Amino acid sequence: MADTEPSATPVPAIDVGDLLQAADGGRPILLLDVRNEDEVRAWKLEARRPIDTVYVPYFDFIEDEIASVARVPAGRDVVVLCAQGGSSEMVAGLLNDAGVPARNVRGGMVAYGEYLQPAAIPLDAAEASRFALWQINRRGKGCLSYVVASNGEAVIVDPMKNIEWFEAFAAQHGLRVTRVLDTHIHADHVSGGPALSAKLGVPYSVSAGDGFELRQPVTPLDDGQVLRVGGTGGVTIDVRVMHTPGHTPGSTSYLVGGRYLLTGDTVFVGSVGRPDLGGHVVEWGRMLFTTLTERLAPLADEVLVLPAHYAGVHELGADGVVSGRLGDLRRTVPELQARSADEFIASVRAAVKDPPASYAEIIKVNLGVSSAPIDRITEWELGRNECAASAKRAAALR
Amino acid sequence: MALNKLDARGLKCPMPIVKAKKALDAMAPGDLLEITATDRGSVTDFQGWVKTNRRAVLKEQRQERDEIGRDLYIHLIERSDV
Repeated sequence: MADTEPSATPVPAIDVGDLLQAADGGRPILLLDVRNEDEVRAWKLEARRPIDTVYVPYFDFIEDEIASVARVPAGRDVVVLCAQGGSSEMVAGLLNDAGVPARNVRGGMVAYGEYLQPAAIPLDAAEASRFALWQINRRGKGCLSYVVASNGEAVIVDPMKNIEWFEAFAAQHGLRVTRVLDTHIHADHVSGGPALSAKLGVPYSVSAGDGFELRQPVTPLDDGQVLRVGGTGGVTIDVRVMHTPGHTPGSTSYLVGGRYLLTGDTVFVGSVGRPDLGGHVVEWGRMLFTTLTERLAPLADEVLVLPAHYAGVHELGADGVVSGRLGDLRRTVPELQARSADEFIASVRAAVKDPPASYAEIIKVNLGVSSAPIDRITEWELGRNECAASAKRAAALR
Repeated sequence: MALNKLDARGLKCPMPIVKAKKALDAMAPGDLLEITATDRGSVTDFQGWVKTNRRAVLKEQRQERDEIGRDLYIHLIERSDV
């Protein structure tokens, strides 16, 4: 067989962002996924339109290069994907050497899991004259952060660990970040909140709730408190703090301009946040039921829910945003149909599976009670989030 | 029956498999190859590779921790006489 040592000739490559843009736009790409079967089953690259995909593990190319090359359809725009970009680079090199043009997806699934894509929330004219609101979509994990901006000031909600990205985004839009908020102590990803606020010297707020040792320096926020974005003079936008416990005892939602509800993991567009991650599904489940049925009850159907997670590309709207009118979600989200706390808890219990083992470690880091090197965190964060009470249902849809 | 050792610490995918394949090619049936890797992905990769390469039989996989706290993934492979 041919020498499969990675060659010195540079292999053409494509960044995840460009790949997703091409695939979202319906460009006829052929994705050659060279990961092993278990990895493929656990986590796939998804775009807004289905991607033609062929699976040939990279070790098949090592064993029988000619037969493996022959399994790649000819005359296609081939991009090769693996876990971290190393094996796919080797395979793309072999394909190019064999006369099959192919590009390597730089950084593989790790890069896919880190990639951040901003989308502006469509506002009406009156709103747009006062503020801007962006949803920052971590496509590979299904995590959503937000930037609320008015009059040159910005508040960042649920930032990811790549804080440089958020700093650059603010700079690019001429915004000064005045506050960093987390909706809750996240379990599926390490928050960028503490590091971003410390670096910028601005307040950071998150509530862990009773029973947790929170070692982050935080500025506590009261239920009903109003945070004004945009300074003291001129145009401003109000962000109202709403305590919405249940997914975690400290879960907090933020109502922007009276109409945009950043719900964290309280309500998603297809489910609600699972209340079992702390090991107190009955207690937290009751809290969540009360939040959903009582605390959110005064909000109008027109309020737009902007969650911290989504379950898959089927939840992306035509505008590229993950959102849902509260009135629609009240009718369609299965967990919001429960008539009693007991029924609600029973349905949640039936729907969830055990969370990934890494969640307990991530929670400790987000509480500030432990720390971990970046490569370990990267490994913990691999895969889509499993924060919804309908994790099984969402997995079945993929 | 020889026991060969392959140090694949610090190597990222695909190198542990590339090197294991090379070492296996040079071994006699019945010989053993012990690969020590630091890449966690090597665990499922070796499981998958032995399904493709019928001369490689995965005898054992275990996890240890070295003196600087790195997780080590150790794979023991036997060269079959296929």
